[in-house]
Amino acid sequence: MSYDFSFSYIWGAGPDLMSGLWMTIRISLLSIVFSVVIGTVGAALRVFHVPGLSHLVAGYVNFIRSTPLLVQLFFVFYGLASIGIPISDFWSGVLALSLWGGAYNTENIRGGFLAIPKGLGEAAGALALRSSHYLLLIALPVGLRVSIPAMLNTSVSVLKNSAYLQAIGLAELTFVAMDRVAMDFRTLEMFAAIGAIYLALVLALSFSVRGIEHVLQKPFRAS
Amino acid sequence: MDLIVQTLPLLARGLAATFQLALITLAVAALISVVFGLMGTSRRRSLRWSAMAFVEFFRDIPLVVNLLFVYFGAPLVGVPLEPFWAAVVSLSSWGGANGAEIVRGGFNAVSKHQRESAAALGLKPWEVLYYVLAPQVLLPILPPFTGLFSILIQATSLASLVGALEFFRTAQIIVERATLMTGHSPAFAVFGFVLCVYFVICFSLATFTRRLERRLADRTSKRGMKVQSLKQEAAESI
Repeated sequence: MSYDFSFSYIWGAGPDLMSGLWMTIRISLLSIVFSVVIGTVGAALRVFHVPGLSHLVAGYVNFIRSTPLLVQLFFVFYGLASIGIPISDFWSGVLALSLWGGAYNTENIRGGFLAIPKGLGEAAGALALRSSHYLLLIALPVGLRVSIPAMLNTSVSVLKNSAYLQAIGLAELTFVAMDRVAMDFRTLEMFAAIGAIYLALVLALSFSVRGIEHVLQKPFRAS
Repeated sequence: MDLIVQTLPLLARGLAATFQLALITLAVAALISVVFGLMGTSRRRSLRWSAMAFVEFFRDIPLVVNLLFVYFGAPLVGVPLEPFWAAVVSLSSWGGANGAEIVRGGFNAVSKHQRESAAALGLKPWEVLYYVLAPQVLLPILPPFTGLFSILIQATSLASLVGALEFFRTAQIIVERATLMTGHSPAFAVFGFVLCVYFVICFSLATFTRRLERRLADRTSKRGMKVQSLKQEAAESI
């Protein structure tokens, strides 16, 4: 069975794809930023054994990691609306993705905090640093560096998982492409196009974070 | 709450379909993992690179896109797939790509000298694989594979997107019908219940995996670590 693949069709769909891509990028960036914030706070709460809260954070992490993101998304979008807390599809998406990425980042960053050499903590104790100072001056600059590769993985996953949001009708890249497929039946063209775009996005994100990592490691390299 | 009690038989049937889907997917994914994992450790560059291309392709493209492509693309090449089987094809190739990395990591963790000395003793390649490598690799990759199973159970919820009647799709239909009949959406309670069921299943599996890991840890100290980090990566993807 032959299928005449039309590049000009992809070209024609360009503006639609670009608007979808823009939505995907905006959602992903917002969610990645929020997930890093959630992860940092969550990891700090767990590492410093804040009574009550650290168990709460552990429960949150386990719950998110043991349930499907798609169901979490539906729970946020349809579930909250059904008890009188309507959230727009955009912010539902950001909320679900941030909570999801935040759970993974909590573990990533906790790993970074635990990797801090014990001597640094002892030195901080000897200098009578308060724990807030220890967190700001030692844990964050040293620990975050260690967790960057793991956080990159999570960020890439958040980016890929933004495709889930097509299920609640948000006009991101996958949704836009599926919409065109439903109209024109140019299935292969659309999937080839978004496949290439996702690949490019994932690679671009990997490279940019590798660059950041390189810069951050600078003070630690022997000159 | 009444609604959930009333529809419990339906939900149970959906859950059974979810398990069916997850088990079939796991079986196919395990097969793919072994084939591509072994290719990834091959000395022949063409084999190694095609395995790498397979793994990277499936890990870099969103699973949602992969599934939709299989479901809507298959009829174009003359093989219309039912939603259930489209999900099997898509999830198992995705799971297979993640599993291949686990298998490859397991084999690479066995010291190179063992292969060399086995070859020096005159063992044929398949004999090296069967007598020397496999017994050492099977145990340490067991925990990451139970982890993968838990991820696949979660991933089956995606099959609802193409209309496969599994657990989550059943719940969606219940919510839709109840909203039509009563005018009130029970989404919060029903989807909350669904979340809890997934949590109980996958969290028990995760606990089991952790125990398995701890048991095997002393037997395979170094290898265990390496494979665990690979599992972490796989766990990220869903």
